[in-house]
Amino acid sequence: MSLLLQQLVNGLTIGSLYALMALGLTMVYGVLRVLHIAHAAVFTLGAYGGLWTFAATGSFWLALLGAMAIAVAAGLAMERWVYWPLLAKPPIATLIASIGVFIALEEVYRIVAGPEPHAFSVPLRVRDVRLAGVLVTAPQVLVMAVTVALLVALWLFLTRTSLGLAVRAVSQDREMAAACAMNVRRIVSLNFALGSALAGAAGMLVGVYYNSVSPTMGDVTAYKGLAIIVLGGLGSIPGTVLGALLIGIVETLFIGLIEFPFPRDAWAFLAMIAVFLLRPQGLLGR
Amino acid sequence: MKRCITLIILSGLVMVLAAGPVDAQGPIKIGFFAPLTGFAAADGASAKHSAEIAVDEINGAGGIKGRKLELVVYDDRHDSKEAVAVANKLIEKDQVVGVVSGSYSMPSRVTAPIFAKAGVPMTVAYAVHPDVTKAGPCVFRNGFLGQVEGAAGAESAVKIQKARRIAVLTVDNDFGRVASAAFIERAKKLGAEIHSEQVYKLGEKEFGPYLTKIKDEPIDLIYHTSYYNEGSQIARKARELGIKAALEGTEGIDSPKFLELAGPAAEGVTFTTNLNRDDPRPEVQNFLKRYQAKAGTGADMVGASAYDAVRILARGIEAGGTEAKAICGALTGLRDYHGITGKITRFVKGEVTKPVQIQIVKDGKVRSFAVIDNPEVITPPVQ
Amino acid sequence: MYLLTVATLVAIYTMLTLGLNTITGLAGQISLGHAAFFGVGAYTTAILTVRYGWPFWPALLAAVMAAAAVGAIIGAAAIRVREDFLAITTMGVNFVVVSVFLYFPFFGGALGIGGIPGPRLLGHDVARPGFLVLTVAGVVTALAVNLWLSRSWAGLALQALREDEEAARAAAVDVRKFKILAFTIGTGLAGLAGAFYASFLTFISAGDFGFSFSITVLCMLVFGGLGTNRGAIAGATVLGAAPELFRFLADYRMLTYGALLLVLMRFQPAGLLGDDSALWRALRRR
Repeated sequence: MSLLLQQLVNGLTIGSLYALMALGLTMVYGVLRVLHIAHAAVFTLGAYGGLWTFAATGSFWLALLGAMAIAVAAGLAMERWVYWPLLAKPPIATLIASIGVFIALEEVYRIVAGPEPHAFSVPLRVRDVRLAGVLVTAPQVLVMAVTVALLVALWLFLTRTSLGLAVRAVSQDREMAAACAMNVRRIVSLNFALGSALAGAAGMLVGVYYNSVSPTMGDVTAYKGLAIIVLGGLGSIPGTVLGALLIGIVETLFIGLIEFPFPRDAWAFLAMIAVFLLRPQGLLGR
Repeated sequence: MKRCITLIILSGLVMVLAAGPVDAQGPIKIGFFAPLTGFAAADGASAKHSAEIAVDEINGAGGIKGRKLELVVYDDRHDSKEAVAVANKLIEKDQVVGVVSGSYSMPSRVTAPIFAKAGVPMTVAYAVHPDVTKAGPCVFRNGFLGQVEGAAGAESAVKIQKARRIAVLTVDNDFGRVASAAFIERAKKLGAEIHSEQVYKLGEKEFGPYLTKIKDEPIDLIYHTSYYNEGSQIARKARELGIKAALEGTEGIDSPKFLELAGPAAEGVTFTTNLNRDDPRPEVQNFLKRYQAKAGTGADMVGASAYDAVRILARGIEAGGTEAKAICGALTGLRDYHGITGKITRFVKGEVTKPVQIQIVKDGKVRSFAVIDNPEVITPPVQ
Repeated sequence: MYLLTVATLVAIYTMLTLGLNTITGLAGQISLGHAAFFGVGAYTTAILTVRYGWPFWPALLAAVMAAAAVGAIIGAAAIRVREDFLAITTMGVNFVVVSVFLYFPFFGGALGIGGIPGPRLLGHDVARPGFLVLTVAGVVTALAVNLWLSRSWAGLALQALREDEEAARAAAVDVRKFKILAFTIGTGLAGLAGAFYASFLTFISAGDFGFSFSITVLCMLVFGGLGTNRGAIAGATVLGAAPELFRFLADYRMLTYGALLLVLMRFQPAGLLGDDSALWRALRRR
């Protein structure tokens, strides 16, 4: 029983990281109906941005802000120069452009920072927590705490502010929102900004959690993120969070408890395919 | 008119005469391929730097019988198709007299038959797959077979470190599977109990699920086949979870990057490899110094092996000339070659019998821990 | 020999792009997992020839059928979803299929399968130049299949589907059947390419058939001109041979690739020789 609980903690930690990463994907899909594959490059940029800011300031929190700020800048740039101009073209064009941006950016990171991973060690001021015989290690505490904080902030924004209401309106029905004289363009940008900020935070957290920042660190999360948002329901924020946590837990349990010998990354896709066949709109989609 | 023709014939003669000696004095070209881009780029860079050091040293000492050695370097991107194209290019366009693989098993494996068919002798720095040397009689491997390394790891774990219960973590590729299998077989033979073997994917970063499973078990040692990325994650997570078991790895973590990424968790980790940093021989220490000066970081197994592979091929050319068959014969007849990665008595079917170094991380530095030279363990399983 | 190698690889790439054109170009379905079917063909060939001693030609046929069969199943599943969903599904299929190849020892697992024999014709092993001729014959076959398909009744229906799925459905075109047909044929062609590939390299492993190769093939098609056979051929030839021609740019190759895709989608989505491209229109004016 305690092994199960212990693995659940592992799963929730991993799922939290997935959630932060995938939220940006679902938010962009919600307003633009495009698959923002280059989002993974924003994630990685956040990690490098955080690393660089930390080296300059020595403060974890400033670094986190730095990571998010750099990520936002990148996300907005992509929205402005890649996605918005391609809106009128068929979706495959946007998809391919996004892949192109992703590949190009990863290469830029490699050329600038080198192909090898960089350590990102941050002296932690949190401590291990023991709860009913279950160990939550300090890094896990940090990850979950930051994730919860960011998600709460996002939820408050979306439900308690008028801007947040506008975001939800546009994501439900873009044309209708435009007809109601909302500045759709600005809302779309805001979505990119929010999603990118979360991704940047996720990137830095992943970098700190694994003490490793490398140009290709976004690869697996990119693909998995897409599976997760489909699982959760494209465009649904709570769905994405749920999907992310579920996948984190499923992966962990099949390795750490049930020992079914199947490669870890394939679970997310199997789950996704299963949901397709049984419930195409995803867990919480419309 | 007559003067024109004479001029033409004369210039033709001059060109022919000039071309003749120029060719004979030209550099001797040897091919070299490694993963210079892609996930393995760090190892590729290490191999390339070291190969260049070897070539510089040879040329600095006058070259081979007066001719300079030239390294023709290609990036195989750790991709089969790329490696095949590179191999054909080296044979046909660059017309190299020999080739050194500074790459992993997959590119080595797919190109070895191509070089064998073309009769180009090949030395392999560190790729571990058994099939590489089976491609032909002119493939010579400097490094260990996966089976040898795994068995040596078991000697170190059970006999020297006295581990009774061992958990194994295997990276899911040819290297990992072969080494782990050999480790398990030998460890059992020596009387240890294998608690579990868990297989994980190459590139895995999250070892929480795997290690949590064995966290509360009475394990003395965790053996992991891994590269420095995964190995450092395993070490870190184990310490984070408070696991007290010893950690032993393979040559995959023989890299300054392991120390950097694992941080304090690297302390006490042992691994099997062919490079002994405490080796007092001047050629070893010189290489370590030169590599540090050239690359800015400490040398690793990949680099040291690439260095040796180049020098071995050069030795073959020195003894046999530039004709492929002669080089092949020279290498087959090579005896007692003292490489920086150990003494090669001779090649048997392209494989070496070499002692396995066990190195340990102590006070943040890699030091010698033990040497495994039991013939039963280190003799490669070939007839 | 070296030129022969490059040419043979280009021919194999062309079979892949032509197959992808059937799915993505003719029927407007997005596939991000083409490499998986390539792999099915390659592994079928490898296992039948190495383990069961089949000669090359029957193994090739089996490879085409195996890939097509898997394609038919995916196609059948695909009818439940559309557009973006399908993209991620095919991507997921790619991951799952590669994981299966990697994991189960039947497929050689991590060690791959080596010693794959070459084709024999009239009692003799086919030499390199002969092999190139065979692969070119494969390309011609793929092209012929595509031409036949586009000119047939099925082809017209597929075209309608691509233009507007709703309208086609309204005109009582059986959407389902044609999606499945497109997938089956396209994946069968990928299987054909896989058979040649396995025989050519004599050694295959799961890593050859990953998602990044699917993207590479898609990029070749898009670069050449999506929806056109000439585009498929042009894209495969240029991008297949380019790495060799531009070896001195080796370190910047992927960066150029990514940037190229982005620029193309922004300014010339029809690619090099697509129906609307500047180059094609210029050539037609002559």
